[in-house]
Amino acid sequence: MSDAPEGPDVGPPPEEAPYVESPIIMTTVRLIAPFVFTYGLFVMFHGADTPGGGFQGGVLVGSVIVMIGFAFGVQPTREWVKNDVLVGIAVAGALTFAGVGVGSLLLGESFLEYDAYAGLIPHASKYLIELVELGIGAIVAAVVVGLYFALAAGFEGTIPGQGAENGSEAASSDGEAAAAGGEA
Amino acid sequence: MTPTALEVALLAFVLVSAVGAALIEDVLGAILAFATYSLGISILWVILQAPDVGLTEAAVGAGVMTILFLLAIAKTAREPTSRLFEPVGWRSVALVGAFVGVLALALPALPAIGDPNAPVVSYRVTEHYLANGYEATGVKNAVTAVLAAYRGLDTLGEAIVVFTAAVAGLVVLGREVLT
Repeated sequence: MSDAPEGPDVGPPPEEAPYVESPIIMTTVRLIAPFVFTYGLFVMFHGADTPGGGFQGGVLVGSVIVMIGFAFGVQPTREWVKNDVLVGIAVAGALTFAGVGVGSLLLGESFLEYDAYAGLIPHASKYLIELVELGIGAIVAAVVVGLYFALAAGFEGTIPGQGAENGSEAASSDGEAAAAGGEA
Repeated sequence: MTPTALEVALLAFVLVSAVGAALIEDVLGAILAFATYSLGISILWVILQAPDVGLTEAAVGAGVMTILFLLAIAKTAREPTSRLFEPVGWRSVALVGAFVGVLALALPALPAIGDPNAPVVSYRVTEHYLANGYEATGVKNAVTAVLAAYRGLDTLGEAIVVFTAAVAGLVVLGREVLT
């Protein structure tokens, strides 16, 4: 389909079409991104007392990066938000949640028993629940952005000779694909 | 209970956009109809006093899913279409109709919306959560109290499922993201 640029209407551009800057989208995103980000953090932090929580807040925070990717091009955004950072955020979120659970075990209570921390932190239960929500939010935000990047990149970079768009990355992952193939 | 004008309008909106999502031939149109369907459902959740669910539906259903669908059709073939609607497959209609009929049979057994004697309200687990949730967990949102404290282990599992699913998806896509 990528070699058939004529379409009936204004659909998304075919795969090889260059990213087109739109001043309207760029300005809109520039305006609303900080507010969406703040609202996402609010939903995450304030989920203890108002509707919301880690899952919803995480999606909102992740959508800020998605928005920026839409407005300013996926490739520059991917270079700005490195894959390692995304994976790190998701892993940190998972470790935070699990760590709170294991911590209460170490303090001599059941797994995820927030009251075990009562002697260490004032309002332990409330603040640890918010920490847990933050961990969930980190996982969800990183997953949303990661899926967005992965889908936007498609299979480019894994098929030898066709990953021209992102040269060195494509080459390295070609090597890995070949290595994986060799192992299999 | 008689539905308000807003509820009737929303239900009609959701119904029309759901049928649109099923029948519109152009993939982009169907995706947009699906997004409006999600948006309508999310407002319905708020009216039904479930703002946590509504927020999720709006953010995930109407927002992120739409983006991912759009990316998917941007990466695949989008057939040019001349018709607005697909021809209706009557066998599918019969199947869906039968399914809706079975569900409708169960409708009269449901308690009215907001009924104080509904089992879910008067059940002792609910009463326990509402009576002791704040004291035991220190959070005012009972949904969060159940989600993060009473059912914390389930939620940990849920978060790990999201994490694992993403890792699995990225492995399948073969991205360098995992190295």
